[in-house]
Amino acid sequence: MNRNRILAVVAAMAIAIPAAAQTASMKLPPYEKVKLGNGMQLILMEKRDVPMIAFHARIAGGAITDPTGKEGTADLAADLLQKGAGSRDALQFSAATDSVGASFGTASAREALVVSGEFLSRDHKLMLELLADALRRPRFEPAELDKLRKRMIDGIAAARENQPDAVIDNYFDAFLFGSHPYGRSATETSLAAVTRDDVTKWYRDNAGADRTILVFVGDFDGKALAKDVKKAFGDWQKAAAPMPKLEAPAMQKGRRVLLVDKPDATQTYFRIGNVGIARKDPDNVAVDLVNTAFGGRFTSMLNSELRIRTGLTYGARCYVLRDTVPGSVAMSSFTKTESTVQAVDLALATLERLHKGAIDEATLSSVKAYVAGQYPPRLETGNQLAAKLAEIEAFNLGRSDVDDYGAKLNAVTGDGAKSVIERVYPKESDLSFVFIGNATAIRDAAKKYGEVTERKITDAGWK
Amino acid sequence: MKRRHFALVAALLVAIPSLSLAAPAAAKPDLASEIRETTLGNGMKVIVWPDRDIPNVAMYIWYRVGSRNERPGITGLSHFFEHMMFNGAKKYGPGEFDRVMEANGGANNAYTSTDVTVYQNWFPKNAMELIFDLEADRIQSLAFDDKIVDSERGVVYSERRLRVDNSNQGLLNEQVQAAAYVAHPYQIPVIGWPSDIEAWSKSDLQNYFRTYYAPNNATMIVVGDVTADDVFALAKKYIEPIPAQAPPEPVRTVEPEQQGERRVTFTKDAQVPLVQIAYHVGTADDPERESLDLLEAILTRGDSSRLHQRLVEQEQIALGVGAFDDPRGFDPGLLWIAMTLSSGADPAKAERILDEELAKITNEGPTEAELRKAKNIQVADFWRNLKTISGKAQALGSNETFQGDWHRLFTAPERYEAVTAEQIKQAAAKVFRTTNRTVGVLMPAAAAPASKEPAR
Repeated sequence: MNRNRILAVVAAMAIAIPAAAQTASMKLPPYEKVKLGNGMQLILMEKRDVPMIAFHARIAGGAITDPTGKEGTADLAADLLQKGAGSRDALQFSAATDSVGASFGTASAREALVVSGEFLSRDHKLMLELLADALRRPRFEPAELDKLRKRMIDGIAAARENQPDAVIDNYFDAFLFGSHPYGRSATETSLAAVTRDDVTKWYRDNAGADRTILVFVGDFDGKALAKDVKKAFGDWQKAAAPMPKLEAPAMQKGRRVLLVDKPDATQTYFRIGNVGIARKDPDNVAVDLVNTAFGGRFTSMLNSELRIRTGLTYGARCYVLRDTVPGSVAMSSFTKTESTVQAVDLALATLERLHKGAIDEATLSSVKAYVAGQYPPRLETGNQLAAKLAEIEAFNLGRSDVDDYGAKLNAVTGDGAKSVIERVYPKESDLSFVFIGNATAIRDAAKKYGEVTERKITDAGWK
Repeated sequence: MKRRHFALVAALLVAIPSLSLAAPAAAKPDLASEIRETTLGNGMKVIVWPDRDIPNVAMYIWYRVGSRNERPGITGLSHFFEHMMFNGAKKYGPGEFDRVMEANGGANNAYTSTDVTVYQNWFPKNAMELIFDLEADRIQSLAFDDKIVDSERGVVYSERRLRVDNSNQGLLNEQVQAAAYVAHPYQIPVIGWPSDIEAWSKSDLQNYFRTYYAPNNATMIVVGDVTADDVFALAKKYIEPIPAQAPPEPVRTVEPEQQGERRVTFTKDAQVPLVQIAYHVGTADDPERESLDLLEAILTRGDSSRLHQRLVEQEQIALGVGAFDDPRGFDPGLLWIAMTLSSGADPAKAERILDEELAKITNEGPTEAELRKAKNIQVADFWRNLKTISGKAQALGSNETFQGDWHRLFTAPERYEAVTAEQIKQAAAKVFRTTNRTVGVLMPAAAAPASKEPAR
């Protein structure tokens, strides 16, 4: 394995590709937007390939509106929506969805509470009834709250033991964002502190027609469904509190390390990064392109180095999380304990290469073809389209977010990519590191990356 | 990581091949009318399902080789071979398969199970001829470079650490499956035992390639914005010239009837106890499959299911409970019930409660409402699986491979609709016997279960 081979391959590839010439553009199918008198935004797209209806309700708020010290309130509220609502208790509610083969899920994301799923179209009346009950008439039964809370707390313990890669982002967010709302997530102690009054107050303050975007995509008659939705939601009240204003988090200066000790780990899991960009950043598409080349696809720079060339890991990637204000940009991988330093050094060297212009014209045209070619399957199903329509509405992006995606992609130049790299990807000098691994084996090595803070994986909380 | 899964994850996909069309109101009459098939001169069958929703194509190639074809010394080789299929052939050298495919807008993945190795390509329709060229190259003349073999060994070992060594659930699963079979190679973990991962040689790979990677040992499924004629023409041009090989030796060993319950118990420094129980069941095309699918749905699908209600909601002894089939293949497989317990809960008590519930459905059968619910879930799953070109390729491929005929995808409705409560009861009685099971328990090292049990 050597660099020559990779270079030779790149040269061969340049000949083999008609590249950007083939980037087909994709247009959103037609859809309708209806604003209800109480401020609720309804969006309908008819799609008849399968006899199903997908729904996606997005209520602005989410984890960032959790009261301090009671992180997880939004998570609990979200999960309780289907644990008893309207005339049904928890069992009756789940029986109603299960018995028609429907899916009905609730989740609290960072900036929104999301209720989504799908029904066979023949069950559209039941769908609307359950959706209106869950959103408007949740019971928040104390016994259900207690059960759910205990399960969530135990679930955190189970994840600490079984999936270091599932908890590492909690540590990383807490370490990177500190007291900013993006740095907060539910902990064993904060969940224990949430009362039923907290949940009901949070829901009254943060759920209501004016915060809600409701999308349906599927096999239905749009006019009839719109009428039914108005009947079910037309008199829903607004949220009692205004949506809190979110400040942009500060970039981290310098280097520092959080080491999470998991004594039985045989490999080290790591995240390395800093604060990146917001969803509405004008370079959003260029960042998609650069990130695909750097850490998004199989032959990305990071995966080529850490997996394909050296066999250090099963996978290495980079992600750029984009919400209302800038989220994290972070490299992510894992490697056996003994090769921790080798893998981390290689990731850092690859980041440096990115800054030094590693994305040449051949890579640029290859990655354009790749992103364009893989775009249509991202909007293939009713659920995918419904989520996309809700995102477009929430961030006020307009349909050009999809319709002009291909054109924006093709317009990215080498210089454009360079300036995005300079602006969005952290400098080597300003990085936060989180390691989960066997601290006895990697404690000394970790010091070379910055000042080390250490904690045990079994300690409650994330910081 | 999404690339090249092995079966723990993939089993979930493979596990739902039989689907139902039962909903009379939902059925679309001509669903299968455009599907066409041909068999090339070298024995490879090609099946095409045109679908023009998006300008893309899913191509799945199913090789009938998996860990059941392995033996001590080469455990995990099928999965390792799957990785090597991306590491260079004659025309497209090391790394070029991925680079050329991605540069032309395509993406790929693959998975290995106990029974099959499936290669998946997703690409814009205008890249189709190139994809055929890439596939033909590696099927015909894969290369094996010693340095690459060693590097890829590290990748696979990392995958093993991720899924097994650093996951209590993965560890327990591997131990239970190994104990459930005394003779049949389904005892071999798909990822392979560590000592074999360290020891495979290039000649092992070359033997494997000759034996199993023949066109007559594979089926190609193409779904998307294509015509059958175009696909057949490309298959004739690129794939048909590749010669057939003598068919592989069949797997002869038949697992003898289990003679008594087996148990695997170990302690770890953990808070969350785990219980996994594996019952012997039949092959993927066993006539009792539909009854078992419905039985599993009644027990564990959705919060209203029996086991969720009893263990998670009422007793609050488990955080979650699930049922799945793995292996579900050419030879008799396993039906699993897996519980993640509440911290400090007593695994013995969880087992007792589970036994009570299994005895109840064995003695009384399901209610009519439960039966209706389970059948409706099958109908909805059927449509869910057909929402994407990938879902269609998976569904066609698994029916063709494991049911012997892709048409079975569309004839499933009668099979599910015809199942009676009595048949489910009989299936439960046949499977849920103590002497037919292997029980795995992962016990927290420092736990004193009785005192830490949650209040009722």
